[in-house]
Amino acid sequence: MRGHGSLLGTYVDGDSLLHRAPLWSKGLGVLLLSTGVLFANRPAVTGAALALVTVGYLVGARLSPIHLWRPLAPVWPMLVILAGYQLIVNGPAAALLLVGNIGTCLLAARLLTLTTEGQRLLDGLVSLAVPFRRLGADPERFGLTLALMTRSVPYLVGSVADVRDAARARGLERNPRALVIPVVIGAVAYAHQTGEALAARGLGEAGPSAAAGASED
Amino acid sequence: MIVFEGATVSVPGPDGDRRILEPLSVTLAERRIAVIGANGSGKSTLLKLINGLVTPTAGRVLVEGLDTVKAGRAVRQRVGFVFTDPLSQLVMPTGLEDVELSLRARLRNPTERRTTALGVLERFGLAPLAEQSIYDLSGGERQLMALAAVLAVDPRILVADEPTTLLDLRNERRVRRLFSGLDQQLVFTTHDLEFAADSDRVLVIDDGRLVFDGDPRTAIDHYRGLHLDAGKLPGDDR
Repeated sequence: MRGHGSLLGTYVDGDSLLHRAPLWSKGLGVLLLSTGVLFANRPAVTGAALALVTVGYLVGARLSPIHLWRPLAPVWPMLVILAGYQLIVNGPAAALLLVGNIGTCLLAARLLTLTTEGQRLLDGLVSLAVPFRRLGADPERFGLTLALMTRSVPYLVGSVADVRDAARARGLERNPRALVIPVVIGAVAYAHQTGEALAARGLGEAGPSAAAGASED
Repeated sequence: MIVFEGATVSVPGPDGDRRILEPLSVTLAERRIAVIGANGSGKSTLLKLINGLVTPTAGRVLVEGLDTVKAGRAVRQRVGFVFTDPLSQLVMPTGLEDVELSLRARLRNPTERRTTALGVLERFGLAPLAEQSIYDLSGGERQLMALAAVLAVDPRILVADEPTTLLDLRNERRVRRLFSGLDQQLVFTTHDLEFAADSDRVLVIDDGRLVFDGDPRTAIDHYRGLHLDAGKLPGDDR
């Protein structure tokens, strides 16, 4: 499969203010910023939040401006469609608000992953689930599940692109079944393989069942 | 040592249970053991029995005296498994983080974990690729990274399911060289008969049955004979 970047990005090595900031403060920042713009739903707030995130990228994390565009690149067609719909139905202010709010949330979340090492993020996720241990939760498994979720996004984005190319090569690009069915089957196979690989490494396993996973190869 | 005692694997089919591995009784004590056979012959199932990913529907499999069903977790701590496609095996975004993930259970201190993981990658010549996205690595580099993540926890036995199938010649040689230097007992499946010839013992599987078990040269000849007629296309005799 071709290489694919993630919407949430992967850690970029550095020693900036945001790289050194505690994970909880960055998590809280993302939460406040995202909920703030969504609840306020005012152009001035969204504009200010977007400016703040931009300063965070360029000054707080000392990242190059290209990082501001990368998470938006794969989703811009969807944003254009949503903005177009809002423009017709609710006017230009609503269209700008929608795109601005989604952009702010995406950029803020990505800023956290770009400035936090994966293992630190995993440790943080695990510690988030620790209070629920009394209720039977397994914090390690919880953290691993979330880590897998973020890791699966680029794989699935890649799978969609590969299937689209394959359909185009066969002249089937207008056939939704030629696009959807292989992606769904691929996603299920990917989930199965990942589960098997995790079990093989003894990570988050629930124990094998008789003949489970048997194949003829 | 790995012992199969009448290990059988069946799966439910439309007309009742269908056997995908006929009763297998064999003891594997050699250092390097190859399993060869056609696609769909049951090779992968045999490998997955070794670390309990597949459990026998009849009979049992013992790894260093441990039953793969009763002591699955302990068996998996002793047996590392490498899959054909490293992308389905590498869970974290970078190789370094994936090796760290392997080490999480035994090293709780993040700094110690990082140092150990970097040491493992250094040992395999992968340190320069440590922080690269797994999607930016070549197929060979990914396979080596997956191997490093498995070997980071020092398994006593390494099981590899067609580890060189997706690799180009250069990377295939790298993986084979790495395998030949391992201390672990190695059991692998392959379609590369030259790779199989490097082992101490070869099992030939056909249609779920062990049809030959012995020295590599004789086993490969047997396998070639088995498929000489089967591989003919219509009109080949003319």
